[in-house]
Amino acid sequence: MSDGTPLSAPTRRWALNEDWAATIVGLVLLALVLTGAIPGWLVP
Amino acid sequence: MAGDDAARPAPQQTETTDAPARTTGGTIAGLVVLVGLAALVRLLDQTLPAATEGTAIGGLVSVIEYPVYAIIVGLLGNLVLTRLGVRDQLSGAFRTEFLIKTGLVLLGASINLATIVSAAGPAIVQAVVLISIVFGFTWWLGGRLGLDDKLCAVLASAVSICGVSAAIAAAGAVQAKKEQLAYTASLVILFALPSIFLLPLIASGLGLEQAVAGAWIGGNIDTTAAVTAAGAIAGEQALQLAAIVKSTQNALLGVVAVALTAYFAIVVERREAAPARSWGRDLWVRFPKFVLGFLAASIIATVFLASGGSRGAISAVNDLRTLFLILAFVSIGLEFRLAPVREAGWRPVGVFAAATGVNLVVGLGLAALLFTGFQPAAQG
Repeated sequence: MSDGTPLSAPTRRWALNEDWAATIVGLVLLALVLTGAIPGWLVP
Repeated sequence: MAGDDAARPAPQQTETTDAPARTTGGTIAGLVVLVGLAALVRLLDQTLPAATEGTAIGGLVSVIEYPVYAIIVGLLGNLVLTRLGVRDQLSGAFRTEFLIKTGLVLLGASINLATIVSAAGPAIVQAVVLISIVFGFTWWLGGRLGLDDKLCAVLASAVSICGVSAAIAAAGAVQAKKEQLAYTASLVILFALPSIFLLPLIASGLGLEQAVAGAWIGGNIDTTAAVTAAGAIAGEQALQLAAIVKSTQNALLGVVAVALTAYFAIVVERREAAPARSWGRDLWVRFPKFVLGFLAASIIATVFLASGGSRGAISAVNDLRTLFLILAFVSIGLEFRLAPVREAGWRPVGVFAAATGVNLVVGLGLAALLFTGFQPAAQG
């Protein structure tokens, strides 16, 4: 699987971005639905 | 989950140099496959119960929830893509962690803020006690079986906190080897998959209240995605409690990662400890930010409904949440890998299995003690 290289903490950058991305996308979608910009019938 | 969850090791930490390169075209093709399989899951969920009604399998099909279809379809898709030799090229689109966290933020909108506030106390108690016991047991058993200290730390974090995300954080904290993280990640998924189906079944067989079942599922299954799948099978209230309990565990990931960093620096490697200021920063870096989104969504929806907002809008948010969860569950199946587990040997598997057993028993006791009689507040 690998060469046994030790891991270090700073390699978590993508996970951090993914966390914020999910938060932003989730809240934007919520806002769009609550304001009626995404109508209920549009969600499959 | 951070959270969990993470059903996937961070790509840059586990990929081998001879793996096929991911391209934009491959990722787009993967997205098409993922959405296509999710549409198939939706179709099966909506049509199969009616189509099999009155047949020999009709009774069974009528109780199957969408996470079951999604994971099975994902695993079958995985098999086909692997046989065709294209899975790795498409895997850039299989973002289980992003999809599940977005689904959980949207789930926050269906939970009244009062429920989160009243569940927070017992959830924190359960998380602290359960993590301490399960982490301690795994560390002790791993030591008895002669496992490397770093592997013990990664395994113990994964089984006691939140699966792959915790394993990634612990591996970074103790500077574990890539292969130790890779097979811990695979073990997490290997144990989580049957738990998705078994825990709701056992909870139902034991006649557990929805809140107790949710707290048990949230405290036991390692990955956030699998917790959500099992919670969805067990019922809406169980799902809400499972999400609250799991989010609480996820939030404690930073504390454990900082403690492990300090322990390995001071005790194992006898280095000088990092200053407290950098520990504070580390806590924030490890904190699962989607938990903030989950809380924000609950606050927004609670205020929205209290000020006369339409329940239909919350219903649409719930449909959107289900959509993201289906994509995430299909993704779990598509990402599953068995090879690293075969390479690991029996000892890590044995330690993980024993720790899972302890987690199940202690978790059930704590959930029953802390959540019996718990009544979630109605949203709206």
